[in-house]
Amino acid sequence: MTEIIQIIIDALSLGSLYALGALGIALIFGVMRLVNFAHGDTIAFCVFALLWPSIDAAAVVFAGHLPTVLLIPLILLIGAGLSVLSEIIVFRRFRKANPATMMIASFALGFVIRYFLLMLYSSRPKSINLWESLGESIGFLGARVPLLQIVTVAITLGILGLLTLFLKRSRYGLEMRAAAENFTMARMLGVRANRVIMLAFALSGMLAATTGLILVTQTGTVDIQMGASVMLIAFIATVIGGLGSLTGAVTAGYLIGAASVLMQVVLPLDARPFRDAFVYGAVIVTLIWRPNGLFVARSAKQRV
Amino acid sequence: MVARKSVLARTISTPIILTLILLAVAGLSLWVNNGIFTRTIVEVFIRVMVVVGLYTFIGNSGVVSFGHIGFMCMGAYATAWFTIPPAMKKYSLRGLPEIISHNQLSFSLSITLATLFAGIFAYLFGKILVRLSGITGSIATFAMLAMINTVYSNWETVTGATSSIVGIPRKTDLWTGFAGAELAVIVAYLYAISRSGLALRSARDEAIAAAASGVDIARERLKAFVVSGMILGAAGALYAHFLGVLTPDAFYLGLTFISLSMLVVGGMNSLSGAVVGVVVLSAIIELLRTLEKGIAIGNQTWALPHGTQEIAIGGVMIVILIFRPSGLTRNQELSWSGWPFSERSSRQKSSIKDGVSEGASA
Amino acid sequence: MTLLTVDGISVRYGQLTALRRASISVKEGESLFVTGPNGAGKSTLLKAIAGVVPIREGAITFAGTAVAGKAPEDIARLGFSMVPEGRDVFSGLTIDENLRVGVGMRADKDAAIRDLETVYSVFPMLAERRHRPAGVLSGGQQQMLVIGRALMAKPKLIAIDEPSLGLAPKVIDDVYATLLKLRDAQGLTLLIVEQSSARAMLTGGRMVLMRSGEVVLEGDARELVRGDALKKAYFGYGDH
Repeated sequence: MTEIIQIIIDALSLGSLYALGALGIALIFGVMRLVNFAHGDTIAFCVFALLWPSIDAAAVVFAGHLPTVLLIPLILLIGAGLSVLSEIIVFRRFRKANPATMMIASFALGFVIRYFLLMLYSSRPKSINLWESLGESIGFLGARVPLLQIVTVAITLGILGLLTLFLKRSRYGLEMRAAAENFTMARMLGVRANRVIMLAFALSGMLAATTGLILVTQTGTVDIQMGASVMLIAFIATVIGGLGSLTGAVTAGYLIGAASVLMQVVLPLDARPFRDAFVYGAVIVTLIWRPNGLFVARSAKQRV
Repeated sequence: MVARKSVLARTISTPIILTLILLAVAGLSLWVNNGIFTRTIVEVFIRVMVVVGLYTFIGNSGVVSFGHIGFMCMGAYATAWFTIPPAMKKYSLRGLPEIISHNQLSFSLSITLATLFAGIFAYLFGKILVRLSGITGSIATFAMLAMINTVYSNWETVTGATSSIVGIPRKTDLWTGFAGAELAVIVAYLYAISRSGLALRSARDEAIAAAASGVDIARERLKAFVVSGMILGAAGALYAHFLGVLTPDAFYLGLTFISLSMLVVGGMNSLSGAVVGVVVLSAIIELLRTLEKGIAIGNQTWALPHGTQEIAIGGVMIVILIFRPSGLTRNQELSWSGWPFSERSSRQKSSIKDGVSEGASA
Repeated sequence: MTLLTVDGISVRYGQLTALRRASISVKEGESLFVTGPNGAGKSTLLKAIAGVVPIREGAITFAGTAVAGKAPEDIARLGFSMVPEGRDVFSGLTIDENLRVGVGMRADKDAAIRDLETVYSVFPMLAERRHRPAGVLSGGQQQMLVIGRALMAKPKLIAIDEPSLGLAPKVIDDVYATLLKLRDAQGLTLLIVEQSSARAMLTGGRMVLMRSGEVVLEGDARELVRGDALKKAYFGYGDH
């Protein structure tokens, strides 16, 4: 029984990470049909902001020393800032381009950000201990569970709740949802395109920052590649969830998290190192079975 | 048949011009006559193979693939399996079947088998992937790349996992590199003017019309996918014999980024674009690499920080995408009759604008 | 007072010329009925005014401001409200939310709440379903919704593209009755585009006929519909 609880918590916390990543990508896709490959590097950028630029092997902690109440808003702000800046400098020029062109441009921007970090911090992974107390295990329904996992799940659920509230109840949320369905029509009703898109980028950047903070607390290392694997799964979750559907992206994130954890348990010992390969394989099969994703967004249906 | 011949006659100048470009590159290497520079040029030839291979699928089908570097990885490891001396691989790669671990094949046979190996997997993956288009298709190829990388990074006894495997005979020299690049250009050209290539490009530009006129898009795409996978497999094999050492991460996002940017900068929808992109970006990369190493001015050494290279390439790519999304060649082929910089056909314009632009305008 | 002046605008889609030096003008409180065969450039005319497609030459003035080249949201904020062809409802949003999208640009949010109730009283079938997603509505109800939505933006002028497309005759009558009531009671200016000229009898006011991207005939709506100059011009006889 305790084992099952452990598995469920594992699945939920991994799924939370994927869901946050997927949400960051889906938000931007919704308003401008951009599959943002730079998201993973935005995640890494936010984490590196904890350190002082230095190419030494040892990490020089900088912002990481700040008290939590200042640290979290600062990192969120950095994520939002970088993301909005990407929009203003790069993506704004691609508003009329086709999705494939935008996707490649974001791929290029991601590399620029990544190698900018390499330039400042070198490519060596560095270690940093953030919120060490979260590494302890606590008793939870009879099982020993790392506190961090519980916190991850709780934070994610909190963010999902707030975001839902924002989208459903606020003026900007309404405009953003309208723009995601039909941007031109929304503009003809006075919805300001730049504001909605920048807002989506800002939210996405804050999600990237959150993802980064969770990742770095989990692993204790800072690495210029650290966003890449989450981003890859997050993309896949967005596609499986049905491009354009936020609920779909989150659900698919949790599904992939659950599938990964289950495979870790079910696969024979020899095959476990290949767990991710099985996950990717399952993803490809899912796409063949449902090319438009498991939960087709209304807006996507309209467009086809 | 008559129609085919006339296509050949009309377009033959393109591979000839591209061959001349490749010859000029080889000639440059002979002229400079410096070991390090020659190795750079061999790398350029291998990149030509990679990017021409990418063009064969991406350019003809219009589906951006992020996964083809995976086939390069397969080709590289396959030739390593076949050519590392048995005395070495018995210990380092214990999981290989006996017939492979006890034998050592010749360079040319091994390259051929490695190409076929990549081709078989391209067929298997392609069979599934070609049914997906647009963004979904691209993401699925990305999943394929990650899948291949996961397997090669973890299969300790067969690929050495993340530790590098050594002992691959370093056989790729200037002329094998040239031959590889030349062969890739010829194969890509022949595919592009084949019935399948023409059908696929018409489907790329006018999907509905092509489907209505009976083009089986999935089948033609599969052909392109396999041809392209084989070119990349061969490129990987030559690369393995160039480096002598392999790690799976050499065939992941970094190489995908560099090769895709070369294709984009040159012009995604043309074979000439693939070659031009490689030549131009390689020149820029080489220049930046030299500057990163540092140049002596008086008794001071002045160097660009590491990472400048990639940042500059990313920047060039974004600028090209903004101001000239059809690439340096404007998606035209180089030919005697019309220099791409002066001629613009309307047919080519439609292929750039094929995507739906639902986004807002500023 | 002239509210909208379109002066010799041209629009091209690639090689295709959709509008060729087209000019119209609409006075405050009147209705202008634009008709013409398929492909005459009627929808393009509306889109050009709304700022959704770029014009190559000419000028557009709305409410005293030159609007050519302005963003659609800025034109909308001047009081130009567009109801495009095909009834673009936000199908995932509720009816209530659909109606409130356009309120964002209004300064008088309190008045907007009153207007919402007015729209519901004009279209009671919307009020009954106000918290259901708009995707569940029938074609006629969706047409009501988009007109209601356009009204919620408190426009000076409503431009409607093909309001009767795909609707039952009874529903079309309802739609027009509503529009005319708004014009006569509230001084709303109407710009209606229809392929069929039959409804111009209902609206009265002025009418223009477009063909092949040009404005070819202009006059009093009822007179034009009764006479045969319209028919000739519509099908293109008479001018050769």
